[in-house]
Amino acid sequence: MGTLNYIARRLLFSACLILGVSVILFALINAIGNPIEILLAERPGVTEEIIEAVTKYYGLDGSVTDRYFTWLGNLARLDFGTSIIYNQPVGDMLWSFGIETLKIQIPGILLALGLSVLVSTLAATRQYSRTDFTVIAGAMLGHSLPGFFIGILLILVFSYWLGVLPSYGAYSTRNLLWDSEIADGLWHMVLPVGMLTIFNTATLTLLMRSSLVDVLRQDFITAARASGLPERRVVFGHALRNAFIPVLTYLGILFGLMLGTAPVTETVFTWPGLGALYIMAIQQLDYPLIMGETMVITVMLVGATLLTDIAYVVIDPRIRLG
Amino acid sequence: MAEPLLSVEDLKVHFFTRDGVVRAVDGVDFAVNRGETLGIVGESGSGKTVSSLALLRLVPPPARTVGGRVVFEGTDLLTLPTKALGTIRGRRIAMVFQNPATSLNPIYSIGSQLGEILLWHEPITRAEAEARVISLLTLVGITDPAARLRQYPHELSGGMKQRVGIARALLCNPSLVLADEPTTALDVTIQAQILDLLADLRRRLGMAMVLVTHDMGVVARMADRITVMYAGRVCETADAATIFRAPQHPYTRALLDSMPRIDHRYTGGARQVLPTIPGRPPNLLDPPAGCRFHPRCPDAIADCRRILPLETEIAPGHTVSCIRRGSQGIAA
Amino acid sequence: MHGTLPPKPPGIWRQGWYRFRRNRGGMLGLILVALVVLVALTCFVAAPYDPNDQSAMLRGASRQGPSALHWLGTDRMGYDVLSRVLYGAPTALAVGLGAMAIASVIGVIIGGIAGYVGGLVDECLMRFAEFFMVIPVFIVILAVVRLFGIMVVGTWMERVPHLNLMTIIALLGLFGWPPVARMARAEFLRLKHAEFVEAAICIGTTRRDILARHILPNALPSLIVLVALGIGGAILAETMVSFLGFGDPKAISWGQLLYFNYESLKVAPWGSVAPGVAIFVTVLGFNLLADGLTDAFNPRLRQ
Repeated sequence: MGTLNYIARRLLFSACLILGVSVILFALINAIGNPIEILLAERPGVTEEIIEAVTKYYGLDGSVTDRYFTWLGNLARLDFGTSIIYNQPVGDMLWSFGIETLKIQIPGILLALGLSVLVSTLAATRQYSRTDFTVIAGAMLGHSLPGFFIGILLILVFSYWLGVLPSYGAYSTRNLLWDSEIADGLWHMVLPVGMLTIFNTATLTLLMRSSLVDVLRQDFITAARASGLPERRVVFGHALRNAFIPVLTYLGILFGLMLGTAPVTETVFTWPGLGALYIMAIQQLDYPLIMGETMVITVMLVGATLLTDIAYVVIDPRIRLG
Repeated sequence: MAEPLLSVEDLKVHFFTRDGVVRAVDGVDFAVNRGETLGIVGESGSGKTVSSLALLRLVPPPARTVGGRVVFEGTDLLTLPTKALGTIRGRRIAMVFQNPATSLNPIYSIGSQLGEILLWHEPITRAEAEARVISLLTLVGITDPAARLRQYPHELSGGMKQRVGIARALLCNPSLVLADEPTTALDVTIQAQILDLLADLRRRLGMAMVLVTHDMGVVARMADRITVMYAGRVCETADAATIFRAPQHPYTRALLDSMPRIDHRYTGGARQVLPTIPGRPPNLLDPPAGCRFHPRCPDAIADCRRILPLETEIAPGHTVSCIRRGSQGIAA
Repeated sequence: MHGTLPPKPPGIWRQGWYRFRRNRGGMLGLILVALVVLVALTCFVAAPYDPNDQSAMLRGASRQGPSALHWLGTDRMGYDVLSRVLYGAPTALAVGLGAMAIASVIGVIIGGIAGYVGGLVDECLMRFAEFFMVIPVFIVILAVVRLFGIMVVGTWMERVPHLNLMTIIALLGLFGWPPVARMARAEFLRLKHAEFVEAAICIGTTRRDILARHILPNALPSLIVLVALGIGGAILAETMVSFLGFGDPKAISWGQLLYFNYESLKVAPWGSVAPGVAIFVTVLGFNLLADGLTDAFNPRLRQ
């Protein structure tokens, strides 16, 4: 009962938060004036009438509050409006670009999770050894490398010097690899996923190794060893699950923010995803698109935070929500 | 006399720290006979806990066991392959830890962590393991054991957790239990209950026990024989009665003198203050040459700085390492 | 025993420094940070060329690889890469220090009040902080920088030098305070009940003195770790904003250099790699420094 109550309260808080973000952004966008006017002002042959007609077409006339509530009402029906630049429903665009983003972000996180568990176990069980030192140093270096710089280095090495991997885009426009769309798509994913994996692995490893070192020093680990359980069981069964608890928050943020950090990745690799779309939307003041994307990203982040809280309850019996 | 169940010879455990090598345990000998309780007594930092961990090769880095033999039922545990060691740990020798709050895994239920150990060691079914765990929980005095199986450590009281810790040690019916300060972290009233429980179980199950403690009162009540440690070495070993009635080593005497006694009145007069041992335990990064106790010893002579005393039997079953009491020694 | 008082134990700062000095990673971080500061202070005389000198282009020597004349080559506009990378250091430090100064002031005030006063005030302030923590900050900053840039067109603010860069700094500060506030709250809460504070209350010390002379100085070590981390984070964030094309076109920042030179990555990689390495070294320096400070001030965590 306490848990349900907690979740209900969290959902309410989240809804307020999402509304708050939308109000602030809506106000900001409208504070700059009519985006149609700004966009079309310098084009030749654009008359007052055309601006007025286009403004009406996109529903940009009327008071700001009226427009906000119209937008909100439409949003409730999952209608995000129409993109000004692309003249397409924003909802459809978010969906198709979103798939492209998830295609590189999710493997980037999952691979990193697997790798960091492996590497940090290797390091933490050999504390003070050369392996441990190498892992810490490598993770610290990787963690301090800006993500996009990793991408730039990968492109330099694998695309320009070795010439083995494509440096941009999600698909080839001609000459598909092995004449297969799937192979070609995967081929293009290698570098962006590689960049995300390297960056995420470094940070996750730093967190997980130090957490694991702390846990391995606990009495209950010595007790498990003293009970005759093999080292494998002690480390993976008893230590790792405890060590994972502090890492969970960061993992939640990684999932929640994967759309939020996409602009950088997708600029480096000219990847046709939500991040690149967002940059475009801001540059072109495509306000239905800006609003729609911000909403989706905020909902993702808020949802991930909520899921993290629930995951805590599942993994740690000491935690009760309420 | 029959061969002892466990004999420890010249055990050395050193900590390799950034500041240098700390000789926490530096040549320790003791033996435990079948069915008896050996009390290991010493101040904190005397190496008693590290010694007990070293028996099962559990010392954590940066500590390492650098020498000695731990012979249990005829085999040296220090050179045993890891796999074979796994059949000793938890099965033949089990441990009870000092702090019950930290020695149980917080994220597994009582039933699953105890059951896991049984299932690992013995070819039994899950249901049999559960029945066995319940019977052990009953044995250690836990009420409503079937319900406790599904509870987590944080849902039990400190004394209750320590009972679970004891039940865990007894799962496979070991012939030796190592108990490291099993009551130090508990309330005074619970301490007595846990000690009674341990004494009772030992008698009933016929196992031997090594009881590591800093508390003379606890060994007085529990131990058949006592080993006194100071600064990583053994000072004196004898049966409990001898240690209390006729202690030989100056450190043992000082320890006993500094115990408050109920038949004494400490009113604050010059002679009636509770005596303490002057000075402080040595820094083991750079221990004193010769006998490690000599800087604090009332009986020290010039040779004590020079000669490292060895444990020498001065009476049957009574060994002392003090050159003033006739021990042999080697010049440093 | 000797009839003399034991020597006064060293304070937390001196003890911290003793421990810090032995931390190789932390010392490396300190050296890297010192290097960046040194470059920032001396670049105006140390740089071989004026950062706006495009004469190489006139000589037809743009996009040239490293040479004796241009140690790190020239970029597509004929700028000397080394000079511009050196001039990026003061910008980076201004961003890092500026953003964290704002974040620390807000964070310490909000967190301090929450921790010291407690109760409903605490609850409200922490909810407020939580609100800021679940906003996708980076996305919002991009949008605000762009929109604000349009908004000021035609107003007096347009003439403020480096307005865009200052906007970014302000936004990073305004969104960067919640971690500081959380730490400040925890520390103030802990110290409020510390014995020496209770003793100070007993002898009638004023509330202002308790906060300023007893609690804040003791909370500083923990906060400084966060500030060191935050400086690196803010520099990184500005770089990303600039890299995406929302930076200050008039400022010489590493992100700005990457943004301009990224399209000629294939023919003139040095133009992108050099500022990338500069960012890496700076962020690594602050991360290592923060790590070393954590070890120095919380020895219980790692031994």
